[in-house]
Amino acid sequence: MSLLAVREVSKRFGGVSALAGVSFEVERGDVMGVIGPNGAGKTTLLNCISGLYRPDTGDIRWETTSIRGLAPYRIARLGIGRTFQIVRPFPSMTVRENTAMGALFGRPGARLQPGAALSEADTVLDVVGLGEKRYYPVLRLTVPDRKRLEVARALAMRPRLLLLDEVMAGLNQVEIEQALEMVRRVRDSGVTIVLIEHVMKVIVGVCKRALVLNFGRTLVEGPPAEVLKDRRVIEAYLGQRYARDQER
Amino acid sequence: MSVRRAAYAVAGLALAFVVLAPLTSIDAAQQAGLPLLTDKLWFRIATTVAMFVVMASAWNIIGGLTGYASFGNVAFFGLGAYTAGVVVTNLGLPFALALVLAPLVAAAFAVIVGIPLLRLRGHYFAVATLGVGVAVGEVVNNLEPLGAATGLFLPIVRSDLLFFYLMLGAALLAVLTTWVILRTRFGYGLLAIRENEEAAAVIGVNTTFYKVAAFCIAAALTGIAGAIFAQWNSFINQDNAFAISDNVQMILMAVIGGTGTVLGPVAGAISLELIIQTLAGGGSGSVFSQIGLGVLLAVCVIFIPRGVIDFFGGRSRLSLRYFRQTLRETSA
Repeated sequence: MSLLAVREVSKRFGGVSALAGVSFEVERGDVMGVIGPNGAGKTTLLNCISGLYRPDTGDIRWETTSIRGLAPYRIARLGIGRTFQIVRPFPSMTVRENTAMGALFGRPGARLQPGAALSEADTVLDVVGLGEKRYYPVLRLTVPDRKRLEVARALAMRPRLLLLDEVMAGLNQVEIEQALEMVRRVRDSGVTIVLIEHVMKVIVGVCKRALVLNFGRTLVEGPPAEVLKDRRVIEAYLGQRYARDQER
Repeated sequence: MSVRRAAYAVAGLALAFVVLAPLTSIDAAQQAGLPLLTDKLWFRIATTVAMFVVMASAWNIIGGLTGYASFGNVAFFGLGAYTAGVVVTNLGLPFALALVLAPLVAAAFAVIVGIPLLRLRGHYFAVATLGVGVAVGEVVNNLEPLGAATGLFLPIVRSDLLFFYLMLGAALLAVLTTWVILRTRFGYGLLAIRENEEAAAVIGVNTTFYKVAAFCIAAALTGIAGAIFAQWNSFINQDNAFAISDNVQMILMAVIGGTGTVLGPVAGAISLELIIQTLAGGGSGSVFSQIGLGVLLAVCVIFIPRGVIDFFGGRSRLSLRYFRQTLRETSA
């Protein structure tokens, strides 16, 4: 039994079909990459899993139970944490307080009190490399640091599945290496990861499998190295002519 | 630590207020050269200040902590007042019962309107709640058992001291409630909703429940103030129980004092009510009072958007740097 199973999920916005019957499964301990051109439905997919959107059709199963249409906070407490592509920190709080919020509310079962949540935040901040900046107000953080904070807040929930929405976008080469290292550490601590990414180095570097979406449908699914060589994928990203030229 | 000093100063003032209240008399006021502050008026002002402390603090719980600027809180005040009116006048039961029932009625109403309205955000929520405030007043104004347009008379209880202390008790309850909320998991949840509601939801905050609960608490506190007001004033109608101007005033007080803080609304209520009384002192001065208030609000919102508590309580005050920094932070 897989940890997460997405079955024939579709979501429409007015006349636009953002997701049109996407299916895939994520096994425990996997790192799965989701790629695809802009507008392919990657973020919509994450929003459906985390409960911000209710899928129009299809089912999403967490182990043995369906989580389709559950409120986001219930899904969070089942052990699914996520980050946002456009970071959404709590602006008036410090880095430490932001992170503690994840521990305060996201834990399945036992309720932490604010004090305990803050010390939990310290542990997590060291993992993502923000330990030194824990007392900074969020507004003083750089973009890469804000992305790290998104991850820290989700990790503080002690999730079993972590959904990362383009945490590497906009980072430079050195920062990407650091972020990759962070993802590996998280994976090694036993967290299953689904990540949306445009940086192919990341997909090849950490993902065991990759899922390519295009126009809300699954285009290809398989090991990253193979997927990236697939003609359909190249076409989707760069156009048919480029794909033809490549083959010559 | 200067925040702490400001807190002590406010607490000290409040204490002096309470202790000196019974000692005030016409003679004392005249000796001090305060012609306006005869004891009747003094108690009236002090009780009104306490009433607005309740309303501003309660508004702060939904508007300041949770980030939902309600323009309909006056409906809770009116419902509390009319609950007291019905209990005391129509049913002939003791006022003490009204003090228990009023917050319950107001809170129940908050659940009913809160569940649909708290789905709206920003201006939409503000306008919708404004509508609720006006609508409830209109309904009451047309209900025959509630005295319709004539209003409702309650048996007169002559005791300035009683109502001052009742209102003061309600004010302390409101401040204490805010203080407790800000120290609990619940309070952090409200702040998270204010700062980013979707982020709050995906880290496990039950946003709907938290918002409705905050609205309920605000409603209950405001309802208590309404009930005390009804018996104190011994006459209620649409104009004094559902005054939209009261709603605007409680928001101004919370904003000027500092939203999201425990003592901000208190400072705002005390200072603004005293300013209003002073400006309106001359009788014909009420026009100037309105203009003055408008100017004050504009200045406060532009230059000290985080309230007087923050301004006097912290960091580098009265410097351009402070103004520039707060401007940048609040417009971000």
